[in-house]
Amino acid sequence: MLEHLRVLDLTDERGLLCGRLLADLGADVVQVEPLGGSTARSAPPMAATAGRPSLYWEAFAANKRGIVLDLDSETGLGVLRRLATRADIVVTSLPAGWLRERGLDPETLRAATPAMIYTHISAFGWTGPKAGYADSDLVVWAAGGPLDPHRADGRPPLRISVPQAFLHAAADAAAGSMLAVLARPATGRGQVVDVSAQASLGIATLGRVLATLVGDANPEWQQQPRARSDQSGSGAATPNSLKKWHCRDGMIELHLSMGPAAGTFTNNLFRWLDDEGAVPAHIAAWDWRAVPERVATGAMDLSDLDEARGAVRAFLLTKTKAEVLDAAIERRLLCMSIFDMGDIAASAHLEERDFWATVEIEGRARRIPGRFAQITGGGQPQVLRRAPRIGEHTDEVLRDWLGAAVGPAAALPEQIGASR
Amino acid sequence: VTAALAGLKVLDLSWVVAGPLIGRALADFGAEVVRVESSTRVETARLMQPFYGGVPGVENSALFGNCNAGKLGMTIDLKSDAGLAVVRDLVAWADVVIESFSPGQLARWGLDYETLAATKPELIMLSTSIAGQTGVWSRLAGYGNVGSSLSGFQGLVGWDDGIPLGPFGPYTDYVGPRLALVALLAAVENCRRTGQGCYIDVAQVEAGVFFLSPQVARYEVDGTITQRAGNRDEVFAPHGVYPSLPEQGAGRFVAVVARTDEEWQRLAHRMGRADLAGRSDLATAEGRRAAASELDDAVAGWTSGRTAADVERELQSLGVPAHVSANSADFAADPQLAARGHLVALDHPLHGTAHVEGPRYLLSETPGSVERPAPTLGRDNETVLRELLGYTDDQIRALEEGQVLR
Repeated sequence: MLEHLRVLDLTDERGLLCGRLLADLGADVVQVEPLGGSTARSAPPMAATAGRPSLYWEAFAANKRGIVLDLDSETGLGVLRRLATRADIVVTSLPAGWLRERGLDPETLRAATPAMIYTHISAFGWTGPKAGYADSDLVVWAAGGPLDPHRADGRPPLRISVPQAFLHAAADAAAGSMLAVLARPATGRGQVVDVSAQASLGIATLGRVLATLVGDANPEWQQQPRARSDQSGSGAATPNSLKKWHCRDGMIELHLSMGPAAGTFTNNLFRWLDDEGAVPAHIAAWDWRAVPERVATGAMDLSDLDEARGAVRAFLLTKTKAEVLDAAIERRLLCMSIFDMGDIAASAHLEERDFWATVEIEGRARRIPGRFAQITGGGQPQVLRRAPRIGEHTDEVLRDWLGAAVGPAAALPEQIGASR
Repeated sequence: VTAALAGLKVLDLSWVVAGPLIGRALADFGAEVVRVESSTRVETARLMQPFYGGVPGVENSALFGNCNAGKLGMTIDLKSDAGLAVVRDLVAWADVVIESFSPGQLARWGLDYETLAATKPELIMLSTSIAGQTGVWSRLAGYGNVGSSLSGFQGLVGWDDGIPLGPFGPYTDYVGPRLALVALLAAVENCRRTGQGCYIDVAQVEAGVFFLSPQVARYEVDGTITQRAGNRDEVFAPHGVYPSLPEQGAGRFVAVVARTDEEWQRLAHRMGRADLAGRSDLATAEGRRAAASELDDAVAGWTSGRTAADVERELQSLGVPAHVSANSADFAADPQLAARGHLVALDHPLHGTAHVEGPRYLLSETPGSVERPAPTLGRDNETVLRELLGYTDDQIRALEEGQVLR
């Protein structure tokens, strides 16, 4: 769908995903690396195989072509600036100061090419009081809101054990870039898209970042949960220990949802228990849609809920992860097996949906996640090539993008390398 | 200023978080978005915290407000034929339809993409669901916490010595709509160029797995199953969230990271721990990771005598990554977010002022904006029917009297 767009990709690990998304949708994405290669090539996790490749790089640089330029030399920067004049979108996550020193900032680059869209991904934003802050995934996670409510048992807040913050920002950068593409026919110009990972993360808190502003008297509600009347389907206000259950071969995520919107799912669960004789009749008869109201009016005692939970606990211990997943599908339960990477790799569902892409990593065909959305009627996202080796496509990209304008293209790479 | 999506007409039939966030972003950048709800089967987000004034109520949810600001709102009884007829007219009006019904529901109404595209090939339709429209899991009921479990996130949050904590809230609800938006905007661009629409099937499970691509690839390559590890990092150490001085009776925390050996030196000296700074076994990240517990204790010992804000200021002045673990009061007062205009106040008929997040990214020529607060139930019934669909007064009165607009 985006075959007509050229993307010059100057990102490091903070923005690597952005170009991958655009490439999967058809754009010609060229990853620029400095001599010695991108820092994203050493972003964890590293495989325990001979070459110890970064699987962050192999996954998120896939589908791009790669060129290498000496970004500390005028020759290299000159080539980069010429490439930029041919780009619809320039996307970078390198620091503002570094870009300014080299004349790669949006003002300078766009002066030569007003139609250019310049997308910058950073922890806090291109300008502002924290624009110069030292950052890391954890620090951004802390600043954007998702970290703080994420705790249990009086211990400090917890992040997700693998970096996530900049993936949200990089995906937003792809959307922001597309908005600028869509605006271009009307304005006749490109523009600057300034993506702040901190600002991207507010929506990853289920509205919690707004609690103080709207005067919720209990903004730290995640610590004083109203578990008895949590009417969400996801159990966001219910403590963790009440949502994790052991089964025969692993663990299950299950929130006993109640209230008019989500209580039906718990009714379905108790029908399953009842069918197998695992719950007393008086509990099996409850309508969980009405439970919050009955508790509020005193028609029901809270200890009744504990009895219900006990029945569920004993029942699930007799079931396997697979049995629970099957029942969840058959009976419409909000009751889910907790999967690890091995379970995901073995999923028949993902296989059936042709989710995976296959790329070569260290000489062997390997599966990586492919279709981030399934599109029919034209434009199915696809991965056509593995992540580039350093400088693999320098020659062909200079020829494709600059053509005759650059002179004998074949001579350029040496020139670039030697000019330092 | 021209809006990026000026003239784009969007029918939003989705609910809760993952679907509505897509239409919210489209509205921010100038699309005309009509959100359809039921006032009898109230949508879940309206029942969820945080609430204005702390008082639960279908018009009080700030979560709903954040997911639906900028949209026009209609209430329609989808169980009635007359209600479905209105939806059909809205579909005919729309360039883009977003929906999150259980897979198969639209087909039962004859409103599935295949049927609609037969007479309207330029239509773009996006469905968002837990596991997709096809495949053995497509019949799974569920919210984003189900997506978190099947995509691997549930097991990847927690202390290494405890049960999984899982992400805060329905994590894939925050991932799916971002990826969906990219695909949807590409489809709009494609439609403008070719006149051809398409159908986009977004699965929260697949979006979640996509955000774990490196970890899945790692399993594929060397069989490693990534484990939860508290706040430890695979490379950096120290790397953690540490207690600081309590404020107003509540525990406060600060995130601190040393990315390089030099940053570790600066951190150790600032903590007054020349002894640690001088130790050769801590000179490399590998050595510091091996001593992570000892270092965590040392950092916690230092931070616990300071406010989180002081730790952030002192370490950032040295170029060492640190930030207060921001709660909602911090978020509201954050000078960086304020400089970006990230928090937006809007007049609201019930609350006086509604507070929402602004557009997530700043566009220099066609900036996003929030034109109106999220709809109260049925707020724009008349506007939509009269101005967008061209219904007559008699038609509208008949719908009202027939109890269809509820």
